[in-house]
Parts: sequence; C-alpha cells; structure tokens
Amino acid sequence: MALCRGAGLLLRTLLPGNPLLFPAVCRAQSSVSGVLVPRTSLTSPPWPEQLPPVCEAEDARRQAAVVSTVNGSIERQDYGRLFAVVHFASRQWKVTGEDLILIENHLEAGCGETIRLEKVLLVGAEDFTLVGRPLLGRDLVRVEATVIEKTESWPKVHMRFWKRHRYQRKMIIVQPQTVLRINSIELAPRLS
Amino acid sequence: MVFLSLSCWIRSRGPDRYWKVQDIVKNAKHFRGRKNRCYKLAVKAVRRAFVYATKGRRLKKRYMRTLWISRIAAASREHGMKYPVLMHNLTKSSVQLNRRVISDLAITEPRSFLSLAKVARARQQEGFRAALGDGKEPVGVFSRVVLLQ
Repeated sequence: MALCRGAGLLLRTLLPGNPLLFPAVCRAQSSVSGVLVPRTSLTSPPWPEQLPPVCEAEDARRQAAVVSTVNGSIERQDYGRLFAVVHFASRQWKVTGEDLILIENHLEAGCGETIRLEKVLLVGAEDFTLVGRPLLGRDLVRVEATVIEKTESWPKVHMRFWKRHRYQRKMIIVQPQTVLRINSIELAPRLS
Repeated sequence: MVFLSLSCWIRSRGPDRYWKVQDIVKNAKHFRGRKNRCYKLAVKAVRRAFVYATKGRRLKKRYMRTLWISRIAAASREHGMKYPVLMHNLTKSSVQLNRRVISDLAITEPRSFLSLAKVARARQQEGFRAALGDGKEPVGVFSRVVLLQ
C-alpha cells in the first residue's frame, strides 16, 4: 500500500527515497556487467531477500510471558464473555453462552437433557484467543448445551421438470430438526 | 309422466376439485397478475417456482462459499496478507477452521482474526527459512554458484 502511494506521489513531487530503494532498472545477471533490464514483477522472487533474523531465546521469553499472562487471567476468571468454535453435526458453529443452534438432524438425546460438545477448535475472550491444532484439549474447555426442542422442518418441495419431455417429479422433504441452547463455556487453567 | 332416466344422467365428477386446485393456487398467491388466481396459469408458474427453488438450494451453497472467500480475502489484505497465503499456511499449521467460521471471526472478532493471520505469517516465514536455508551447498557438493558469490 505504501508503495502505491509513493509511486502516485512521484508523478507530482520528487520523493528522495523511492527511486534509490527501488530503481526502475536492474542488472540481468550479477556476473554480466552493463546489461540493464527493466524491473518487472518477475525480476526478483516473491519471497523477501533477507528474512528477519531468528533469536530463539527472545522468542522463548516472549512465549513464556504470553502463556503466563493468559494463564493468570484464566485463573482469576476475569475474561468476561467467552466464544468458542465447536465442530458438531459435521458443521462448525461459532457459539457463545445463551445462544440457540438449529441442527438439521435427529439427536439421540431427549428434550431437556444436557449435552457436552467436545470438539472445540477455538476459544476466544476479549484479550486472548486459544487456537487448537486442530482441536483443543478436553480438559481445557467445557461447552455444555441443553436440548430444547425436537421438531421437523417446514415441508420443502423438491421438483424436477424436463420441458417438452412430459417428465415431472415432485417430492416433499421434511427433515428432523433439533434446537440446542448453549448453557456455558468454561476454561480450566492448564496452559504450558 | 315419470322421467326415470333423468337421474342416471347426473354424474358425480369428483368431489374434491376445489381442494386440488387450491393446493396449487395457494402456492401462487403472492405472484403478480392472473397467475395468482387462474389455475391454468398458476400451474405453470408454480412448477417453475418449485424447480427454481430446488436448483437455488444447490447454488446457494456455492454462492455462500464465494462470499466467505471474498470476505476472508478482504480481511486478510487489511493485515497485509493474501487469501491463498492465509488459507494454505493455516492448513499447514493444522488449524481446521472452515471458511464460514473464519469469515464470521473476521467480521465479529477482529482480534482473533488478527491472531490467525499472525499464525499464518509465522508459518510462512518458517517455510521460507526451511526452503532458502543459509545459502550454502550441502556437504561434499562443489559448485561455481557458491564460488562466484
């Protein structure tokens, strides 16, 4: 974005920095001198020439600091409202406390029974997010839901028609549905 | 005079024509023009409507996925990344969130989306580092590329 702005400004005023950093021509090969080639999108590879250096000690220190902060706020329970991404009924749902989910199939649980949704992919609060790879541990998060309603969908019409061939088929599809209310999402302080 | 065959000429033409007609016409009540009242026109219109609804249910899934992808692309460009880079690096880091959830996070949880973008960026840097290496040839290989540099 900064590059586009710089290129646009060059038409009006002369910016000292840009022509020196990104010259319009470059050498074809470093071994052959005097052969200049215009700079295109394929002049240099798309990865950066110099990668930022890796300092493992500093990375480890930063990670330990982050983990201890997050662990502390989990232990003190001062995170506010939690949201979780849960894999259930072959779909992923972004879920908070007190919200309703409509599942388009039949569950074995009866109405009023509590269910624990185990496959949690991500949990987030205001100040931190826990991203599972791909799932978070079962002893780290607990998502509980109640089955509120078990009903059927409205009758959907599946119609096939082939014109000028006297072919039409009409089928009415009624699918069982379940409504779940998410009761709570709880975190346990156990990060490393 | 007694007309005995008069009663034989009265036919019972089917008692439920009204309901058969209403079954079709009630699906066309919100249409425009005579096709919301007249059976012959309503039959054609209702048949088209049902067929379009059936086809539309399959297309809706494709459109929604395209929408999610364009939303994720826009959000990742706000953080200086492109959509294919983000998704590929998230898959390589074994984060199995689908496009619907990632687009929802980009809309309602911008900080979580930023953390996902950072995860992808870190994995990308790791990949570059592993591919580029230190610029040295493996042990026992002698080539003029390294010599001339």
